[in-house]
Amino acid sequence: MRRRLADELVFATGAIVIVMSAFFAFLRAFR
Amino acid sequence: MLFTVGGAVLPRSEQAARRSESSVYTARGALWVIIYLLFVLAPMFALLFGAHPPARAFWTEFSVAIGYAGLAIMGLQFGLTARFRYVTEPWGEDVIYHFHRQISLVAVALVIAHPIILFIIRPELLALLNSITAPWRARFAALSTYSLIAIVVMALWRTKLRLSYEAWHISHVVLAVVAVVAGIAHMVGWSFYFGDPWKRWLWIALTAFWLGLLVYVRIFKPLFVLRRPYRITEVRKERGETWTLLMEPEGHAGFRFRPGQFGWLTVYGSPFKVSSHPFSFSSSAANGDGKVAMSIRKLGDFTSKIDEVPVGRRVYLDGPYGAFTIGHPADMHVLVAGGVGITPMMSMLSTLADEGDRRPVVLLYGSKTWDDITFREELEALKARLNLTIVHVLENPPEGWTGERGFIDAEVLGRHLPPPYGEHEYFICGPGVMMDAVESALAELRVPISKYHSERYSFV
Repeated sequence: MRRRLADELVFATGAIVIVMSAFFAFLRAFR
Repeated sequence: MLFTVGGAVLPRSEQAARRSESSVYTARGALWVIIYLLFVLAPMFALLFGAHPPARAFWTEFSVAIGYAGLAIMGLQFGLTARFRYVTEPWGEDVIYHFHRQISLVAVALVIAHPIILFIIRPELLALLNSITAPWRARFAALSTYSLIAIVVMALWRTKLRLSYEAWHISHVVLAVVAVVAGIAHMVGWSFYFGDPWKRWLWIALTAFWLGLLVYVRIFKPLFVLRRPYRITEVRKERGETWTLLMEPEGHAGFRFRPGQFGWLTVYGSPFKVSSHPFSFSSSAANGDGKVAMSIRKLGDFTSKIDEVPVGRRVYLDGPYGAFTIGHPADMHVLVAGGVGITPMMSMLSTLADEGDRRPVVLLYGSKTWDDITFREELEALKARLNLTIVHVLENPPEGWTGERGFIDAEVLGRHLPPPYGEHEYFICGPGVMMDAVESALAELRVPISKYHSERYSFV
């Protein structure tokens, strides 16, 4: 169960990093 | 819920203090997640300040962004394994190491996706894969990516590749340094976003910080441990192929630990060698003389020669670590141990006994046979000093055995614990399979996750 907590942290970190990378690209490409 | 110590009800202010301790841990844990994300994302967004290079297509920028993020995650891996007690405490070392392993897969995916996206939108860049004709900046990118892939392959299939722990550990560190340094060399070589020199220096400083974390773990920390050696005073044979090493500090006061915590032990060689192994302390944490004991079962690798450790040998201990420790005094404590997983429980029980603590404790203890039960007699003796119930669960019970047999599951828990199950605090330590089974059983009994604690020591 504690591993599931770590897995959820990994998933959340990965998702945030991808969304923020897309935001970075959006700011660069469309502004 | 009442908090009691030794049968006495704790004052309200003390109850509030115990609760606020756990909320401080939660807040600290959340703070470290935010700091981690800042370290991953801030260096990338810093590139948006100051002078800008010409805008490019969305997918080109996206591929570059995930490359930056992947590199930052790789760099921070050095920090996750730096054993900073203040950082790891709210989570427990096992969660941090599991995160370290899993997030590396995310980093590798990001780093590999970076060129793949570029190759799809600009196929002419495929020529950069030819390392003979490619410019240095592309060669560094290839070197970084190949090193990362090698790290993951060696970490996932170490045993299948028949790599010893030490060989794996050294190559892991070397490849990680190569991956990060080659990654930053690729970035600096390309220099697309480094129109302002401060941006280049920001990323170089960041790399120096990541490598500094490695220097801290590999040089400064071992130096500290080297100056505080221990000496083996006794090697005691226990039941179940287990040996207890008793150690006393040599020329220093030692450290205080909380029952259930563990330390990294180096028996052969200096702390600079990558040969330390994590073991729980099995002795009472109540005696303040700095002496500690670790009980180690012969399970292969380093432990197979544990009985040959000579009395008088100088050893090194790095600790204490871990968040697996006694809970709220008002709760019934349910200790679930499998095999050598009894060692942190032994420390908890001895400490409670030494402190005269009379909280109710139930120990569910799974062993192979009656003769294999490590600390069998010591546990029986502790019953006189504690409010302790012991339930042995035997895989291969002797003839005429009327106790529990098989493995610890929801039925065993239900038979020996009073409801409501969600009111007790659970501590689980043992082989991975057993821990998975007990955690599922607790979920079946609707025990909230905040009520159980488990720590696994299969860090690698």
